[in-house]
Amino acid sequence: MYAQAFFVAVFGLAAIGFGVWVFRTSSMVRSALALLFSQTAVGCMFLAMQTEFLGVLQIMMMATEMSIMAIFMVMFMMDPGGMGGMDMTHQKRFSIGAGVVAAGVAIAVAVLADWAPVSAEAPAAAMQTRELGRELLGRSMMIFETAGITILTAMIAATAAAIPVQTPAHSDEKENPE
Amino acid sequence: MTSAQPITTKGSRQKQPRFAVLQAWVSRALARDLSCLIIPGPEVALAYGLDVTAAGMCSSATPRDATVLLIIGELSEQMDEAAAVLYAQMPRPRTILMLGGKTPPSLPDADVSADLSQKALTDAVERLQGLLAEGAFATYPEDFDASVLHVKIEYVCPMHPDVVRDEPGSCPKCGMDLVAQEAGKATSGHDHEHHEHHEHHEQDSPQSHEHHHGQGHQHGQAHEQGHPQGHANHKTGTDYTCPMHPEVSQDEPGRCPECGMDLVPREAGEVTPGHNHERPGHGHNEPESPQDHTNNKTGTDYTCPMHPEVSQDEPGRCPECGMDLEPREGSENGASGNNHDHGEHNHSGHGHDEHSHAGHEHGGHSHGGHEHGGHSHGGHEHDHGASGFMSMIEVTKDLPRSADGLAMDWIEVPFGPVFPGLPGGLKLMLTLDGDGVIEGNATSLVGMTNGDNDTEEMNAEAFVERLALATPLAPVSYRLLACLAIERAAGLADNPGTGRASALERERIASHLGWLALLGRQLGFTWLTQRASALQLDLRCASQKRLAALEPALRTLTARLGRTPLLKARLKGIGRLPADTPGLRGPVALAAGDAWARLWQRLDEIRTSLDFIRTNGEPELPGLRITDQASGRGEATVDTPRGQARLSLTLQSGRVTSYRLDTACSHHIGLVAELVEGQELGDALVAVGSLDLSPWEVMS
Amino acid sequence: MSVAVVLLALLGSVWLLAVVEGWTTTGRLRLTAPLLSGVAHLGRESIVPRTPDRLFFEAAPVLLLVVAVLAAAVLPLAPTLVIADMATGALFVNAALAYVLVALIMAGWGPNGAYAMIGGWRFLGQLIAYAMLIVMPITGVAMRAESLVTTVIVNSQDSVWNIVYQPLGLVLFIIAAMALAFRAPFDLPVAGGELGGGVDAEYTGVRLAVLRLARLTLVVTLALATTVFYLGGWHGPLLPPWAWSLIKTLAVAVSMLLAGRYLPRIREADLMRWCWTLGIPLALLNIIVVGILVLVVP
Repeated sequence: MYAQAFFVAVFGLAAIGFGVWVFRTSSMVRSALALLFSQTAVGCMFLAMQTEFLGVLQIMMMATEMSIMAIFMVMFMMDPGGMGGMDMTHQKRFSIGAGVVAAGVAIAVAVLADWAPVSAEAPAAAMQTRELGRELLGRSMMIFETAGITILTAMIAATAAAIPVQTPAHSDEKENPE
Repeated sequence: MTSAQPITTKGSRQKQPRFAVLQAWVSRALARDLSCLIIPGPEVALAYGLDVTAAGMCSSATPRDATVLLIIGELSEQMDEAAAVLYAQMPRPRTILMLGGKTPPSLPDADVSADLSQKALTDAVERLQGLLAEGAFATYPEDFDASVLHVKIEYVCPMHPDVVRDEPGSCPKCGMDLVAQEAGKATSGHDHEHHEHHEHHEQDSPQSHEHHHGQGHQHGQAHEQGHPQGHANHKTGTDYTCPMHPEVSQDEPGRCPECGMDLVPREAGEVTPGHNHERPGHGHNEPESPQDHTNNKTGTDYTCPMHPEVSQDEPGRCPECGMDLEPREGSENGASGNNHDHGEHNHSGHGHDEHSHAGHEHGGHSHGGHEHGGHSHGGHEHDHGASGFMSMIEVTKDLPRSADGLAMDWIEVPFGPVFPGLPGGLKLMLTLDGDGVIEGNATSLVGMTNGDNDTEEMNAEAFVERLALATPLAPVSYRLLACLAIERAAGLADNPGTGRASALERERIASHLGWLALLGRQLGFTWLTQRASALQLDLRCASQKRLAALEPALRTLTARLGRTPLLKARLKGIGRLPADTPGLRGPVALAAGDAWARLWQRLDEIRTSLDFIRTNGEPELPGLRITDQASGRGEATVDTPRGQARLSLTLQSGRVTSYRLDTACSHHIGLVAELVEGQELGDALVAVGSLDLSPWEVMS
Repeated sequence: MSVAVVLLALLGSVWLLAVVEGWTTTGRLRLTAPLLSGVAHLGRESIVPRTPDRLFFEAAPVLLLVVAVLAAAVLPLAPTLVIADMATGALFVNAALAYVLVALIMAGWGPNGAYAMIGGWRFLGQLIAYAMLIVMPITGVAMRAESLVTTVIVNSQDSVWNIVYQPLGLVLFIIAAMALAFRAPFDLPVAGGELGGGVDAEYTGVRLAVLRLARLTLVVTLALATTVFYLGGWHGPLLPPWAWSLIKTLAVAVSMLLAGRYLPRIREADLMRWCWTLGIPLALLNIIVVGILVLVVP
């Protein structure tokens, strides 16, 4: 129990630490990888909390997702190396405000929500996987499918919007950016 | 050891007395794990009949992985420099093995020297192993230094590329701190070429090298420019200016004296577009120097295709890279990404307060997003510039683009002169945008010169030898060419025998096999490299009978290539040359198509050459018939493996006084620029490889 | 105990692969060559290029080795010979191998060299081609086993190996695995003739030794994964289970190694096009076929 709490804390702090690093570096590549490792640490937190499937999934998906992000970054950023000493932050006042509000809401939910009694024993990992699968194919199917399609649409739309309109003569040479 | 002087290699590593036993053990392992980097290249080794693998070494693709620098023959001056750089890149302990010649001046004396023969090579490798086992680690390792390795650091102003100083300091024009960069490297964003010299990285102080990562340079500069020494001296108050002629400025509304347009209000501090607000006194209303205004004028200005920030009124050369400037429309796509937006801001004349204007100026050149979203940013008043939201679309929209429509920083990367998959001595400079080639050109570091100026007379025999030696990839062809030309100059009738022609055809087969080996190396097609190399070694001096025996093997090779999956996909449509391209010769002309067609043209030629030798008898090396004291002019043409070569020379009493050589490769090398442009990197290299350029046969 | 055994098996397989690799390149069969080469690398200078991203440069080879070993940790050599028999083993293999890409990006970015950088980004592009072809065939395998546990997956092939049950999946998985291990003909990020070593180009000495070890370990891990998912794992007559696992793994690994010798490097655009226009539809077809088989055949 204590060991579990310890590891959750360690990975949680690591996630926060990498999260801070995202904004403390001026290199976009470092920033992207810091974000990746922050998310990996969150995945490890899941593992420490005995939610094996979610943890492994998080660790796997984040590696791929952040890499896809890196592709977009390389395509559209002019300074991935941070030579220019670029600042990763902007709209500081607004972001601080938004951050404080969001943190307040999260804490409020954590404190005020009526969490069911703590179960003595987490279900076996295989059982969790099975139940998660049933959940995904049942009640939550619509939500997940919608989220997935939305993300895909957003990525394609963002790419399409970012690439300047080309003359038809050139457009056939282009590969699908995906 | 008997001698008092301990045996050490020239490139030995520091000996650590504490680890003496361990190091002795490691030395023995090093001696048995030899890999060599061949200079000028493995194809030259093959052409000389050297089999490195049989001698007990591996052939390494990069200097990082090599213990032995294997130099074959005399090196040209430029190759010598390249060799010094490569040697410096090799990790210690490193050794030099010199075959057939003396060690080039830039390098330390060879650890082992030997003749140009397989037997000598094998012996030399054994000696080298002994030497390494004993002397891989030395108490006082020798430093290696060569002038080519010294990187000159110069300091330039990011704003005024013409300001170049040897010392750090500030720019006399704008007062900015000068930025260090390598001399001669002003243009490329990437200072790390293959020719990196690792031994100097300690000496270069960290700040003397910006972190020139591939994409980064241009924006990096723009950004630095975005932090001038304060904007406090912006004047408040509005003046009126002409949207077309920003130098016009008056306190009251009115018409432009130059074009008659209505003047629009603007902030006083905004006189100048783009960069010059960093200049001292920029807040004044006086017209600024013309250079700073160009971008707001309609009409044409001149810019560098590589450096969009360069802009001037007149044609000329780019101060950064020396390229010819090209005209562009001043107001349309005119200004570079750095200052384009200013014009718009100026005429629209928003009544912003001073700070947001300062922000706008930044937005204009480094954070273009201000144009759209900048106003709503709550926090940018005090730390504008640094924290302005960067819209990459805005920043990059005026940068030059490659075929995929994405703007990236361009890096200039050398491929060669010693590069796996390209013939040694050929240096390919490619400007890359991601892995797309924007432009490229090839030069030969080992080419020949025409002897027009009677600089050195030599007797006919020596001339023949020299020409053959200068073209290691096709010595028989050029020997034949020289013999024919001299004989004709001497007035002798052509030799009716066919032995010479057979020898030429045999060399054609060997040369094409050498090309196949190179293709295999380029494509990572190991089997092809090994098979073609083995056949070439076997065949280069083979008799008619042996050639007949090898014929089935060659046919199998051809059939095998036809069946190889992915090969056609790799070569088809790459390096396409229209049939009417001027200057095509040899297989490149006959194939008149893409790399795939050229492959099959060469395979066909191997077959025809075999047939020719079968019917025309024993190959016989061309020797010069006696022409003593003859004089005259002669001209000959030989169809070398790479296409027709023409030699005309003047003979005076048995001595060659002048000659003029015209080779296929001299023409083909010019095609490279066109072939690589806009291609993916891999395709570009395949296209260059498919030309079968021999840098030795390029006339400079 | 099983940790030591599995690591030893990995190391032994890597050594054997290195021997075979040396044999094919030099034509000499020297059993000591890999050891000598390793020791020689320790003796060489390990150069740090000028202005590197030091953290990435140092971490990349180690990360590559760690993920290869981690992925192998959930793959069983015998019913009980597995380091961690996770409930999500098949997914974990994926998760660990996803970090191969991260390691390569770091190795490409770190040394501040043009060749390395292009190599790193090339692999990123390559991921987009092969990634789905790793996951989707594994989906088919897990469907048949009705479990993500690797030992259950092997047991599900008790009667009929997956190579017979879903051959299409095997073909796609092996191709994707070779692309993931960036072996020829998919060696775009290290391409000798195009990038002069690419992401390997700036590594020397000890770091290069680690990198090479990691690359070979990756091949062994992927071959072991192929064995577990498609070749019936430890199943086989006469020999003990672990021997069958090793034999199959080595056979797959050596054929992966040798296949590259006889093929030219694939074009990046072709790889992308074929994977998306051909590979993914086929992988979907495989899933449908397996689904039908699972439902129809008892």
